[in-house]
Amino acid sequence: MQPELPKAYHRATLVDLLDRVLDRGLFLRADLVISLAGIPLIGATLSVALAGTQTLVQYGVLADWDEEIRAVPPPRRRMADLEMDATAS
Amino acid sequence: MTTPPSNLTADKAGGVYVYCVARGDGNRLFGPIGLDGRVVYTAGNKEILAVVHNCSAQPYESQDPQVVHGWVVAHQNVVLAATEAFGTVLPMAFDVIVRDSATAGAVGTLKTWLDQKRDRYVQLLDRLAGKAEYGVQVLWDCQAIAAWLAGTDDELRKMQDEIRSKPKGLGHLLRQKLAKAMRAAMEKQADRFAQDFYARIRPCMEDLRVEKPKKVDGDRQMLLNLSGLMRIGSRELGRVLDEIEQNKGVTVRFTGPWPPYSFVGG
Repeated sequence: MQPELPKAYHRATLVDLLDRVLDRGLFLRADLVISLAGIPLIGATLSVALAGTQTLVQYGVLADWDEEIRAVPPPRRRMADLEMDATAS
Repeated sequence: MTTPPSNLTADKAGGVYVYCVARGDGNRLFGPIGLDGRVVYTAGNKEILAVVHNCSAQPYESQDPQVVHGWVVAHQNVVLAATEAFGTVLPMAFDVIVRDSATAGAVGTLKTWLDQKRDRYVQLLDRLAGKAEYGVQVLWDCQAIAAWLAGTDDELRKMQDEIRSKPKGLGHLLRQKLAKAMRAAMEKQADRFAQDFYARIRPCMEDLRVEKPKKVDGDRQMLLNLSGLMRIGSRELGRVLDEIEQNKGVTVRFTGPWPPYSFVGG
């Protein structure tokens, strides 16, 4: 039987993919892996990812991802910046 | 499946790039589908294998976003090909490279690592079998929600009436007060929604992770950013997300199935 997909199904974007492949997955931090497994792994996972994405940010491609990584004020904070039209009914 | 050419497994490479770990005995050739068209094959011991390509012992690095995109997409495609071949995989993050050591080549080092981790990986693969990762992001339209609150919240309505009753120019302070009250009402509503939606989505998932909300364009804000592990073919989530979307101004982004990137760590 076909699974019933939510109507809200959206095509995944590159950002969805980058979120997962750069930020998650097994051994996000290879330097940790070295200490856990005692096996020489190249420990550049995160730094390389960031080096690569720095440039992407300049192109505006990864703005969301970058903001998340840098822990800028979360969206909830933005609510304080909301321009409300007080006379709107 | 063909056996990999001997020069690929001869363990001469300085490094092996690892895409994922799966159950199997380690003798498959996927062909030139890797990063930069590298030949992808499996290496492993009893029960557990890794899907890899041979590379030099240095990380992939580029200042060109197109190149990085291409690599990430290739990484994902290899993980998907492995998922098709083996059912369940443990996807690696980008750029995990096993290096040779003084006593062993890179493939030898990889096999030692797989040996050491076998029990843990088998356990994890069992836990993930028949399941996939799904992304659920709940967004709301700030303007629509503000308008809705302005029309339904008693306190806000009272304040608006008061402003209307004042002569023009005298309502300034009141308007500021109203804006503040509106912000407070929206924050309260955001919390209420987030807790309610999470509680409704949680029972549909085997496991559920709360990610940081992301910035979105325009008037919309992300209330909830979730990664869920769900049994493939499960039907309940669709109904729940449709219900959540019935709330005025609320939309849901649903993506997947993904390889379980968010459920292999820790």
